[in-house]
Amino acid sequence: MTVHALWVISKAGGLVFSRSYSDVLPTLPVNTILTLAGILHGIHAITAKLTPSPIPGQPVGGMESFEAEGWAGRIFLTATGTKFVVLHSLPHPGLDDLLRRIYEIYSDAVMKNPFHTLEMPINSSLFETRLQTLIASVNA
Amino acid sequence: MSVYFTGGSSSASPASASASAPTSSRFSLTSSAVSSPPPSLYSTSQNPSSSTISNVPNPNRRETSRMSSQPSSLQQQLFGGGGSGGGGSAGTGVGPAGASGVAGGSMNILDRPLNKTKGAEVGMGAWSFLFAEIVAYSQSRVDSVHDLEARLSSLGYEAGQRILTLLLLRNTQTAGGKDPRREHRLIPILQFVHTQVYKYCFGKPADGLERSVEEENEYMITLNQPPLTQHISVPKDMSQLSCEAFTAGIVEGVLDGLDVPARVTAHTVSTDQYPQRTVILIKLDQKVMDREEALGK
Repeated sequence: MTVHALWVISKAGGLVFSRSYSDVLPTLPVNTILTLAGILHGIHAITAKLTPSPIPGQPVGGMESFEAEGWAGRIFLTATGTKFVVLHSLPHPGLDDLLRRIYEIYSDAVMKNPFHTLEMPINSSLFETRLQTLIASVNA
Repeated sequence: MSVYFTGGSSSASPASASASAPTSSRFSLTSSAVSSPPPSLYSTSQNPSSSTISNVPNPNRRETSRMSSQPSSLQQQLFGGGGSGGGGSAGTGVGPAGASGVAGGSMNILDRPLNKTKGAEVGMGAWSFLFAEIVAYSQSRVDSVHDLEARLSSLGYEAGQRILTLLLLRNTQTAGGKDPRREHRLIPILQFVHTQVYKYCFGKPADGLERSVEEENEYMITLNQPPLTQHISVPKDMSQLSCEAFTAGIVEGVLDGLDVPARVTAHTVSTDQYPQRTVILIKLDQKVMDREEALGK
């Protein structure tokens, strides 16, 4: 499995972090990625609404993955509404574990950093280096 | 904080209409006390000795008396839940404190043995969030990086003075009360900081203790991976800030308590292997150097 890119979408639908980790992905301007992330957030909300017979009291999950020829995307929704989107190649062994590790790094390096403002773009070198190490070990 | 009223919810007083206000409000003291006009007599006051509460003719005498005998919630949390009855089952705030009181084997933190260190560690996650808030709070009240470091350092200083007292007492108790020791020469003092203080604070001794090459009165304690600030990444515009100023404050407090006044600062000196490597620079007062000279080798 190759991880092509990682996006972090805040609970309001704004893109707070995006990195590309492979060179096969077409390079897009930041504004385009911002728009795409917003659309994905909207689609996720729609799919959550479409859930047939939701269990009362249980949180309703929306779209979890999408797939295309040779690549796919996985959406990991945290309990607080932050979404991690990983674009990756197929097949994808160990993707769930990877997402958990990303979430762990996020909670450590971002949420415990006093210089981070909630819902604002992530600007933490620690977060980037730790992600780089993790994803380099997967992509290798 | 929401656990003072446990049980007896069915016995709302029929005598006074206001007392039979929504039971939910009686169970959440905090929310009703914070929101402006309180809905019922039971929640009118946070003060346990309020006459309003004790004067109400009330079938829930058990609750009333419990309330007036309860200390404030903060006290209760600090001093271990105040017994199993008051701890209650519904509260999230007091629950952990009560649990830790049980784990400590006694109800009151003051009654616990000072020498007991096992199981008394602080969770790293809890510390990280607390320290992040400390830094954010301090940052909102200062104008410059230097002031922020000074603030963090002064907080550490307070901690350092207490840590010194505790460690000396523990060492004496471990030795059975005989031969109480307190270092008075410079090098043993620095080794005490390097080994014992760091071990107490961070779980392992510091990685290095060196004397500066240029200055006679400068010493450096290095820590390759400082645990207190391991999740903090300083933004580029404040690059000279090191949140390890807190550790520097601890060292300064300990040294000052041992009558070694010094100016202690923290600097991040990253290496390839340890990007967060921190050097605590101790610049000793001239008085200390003079005294060392007088005491001789």
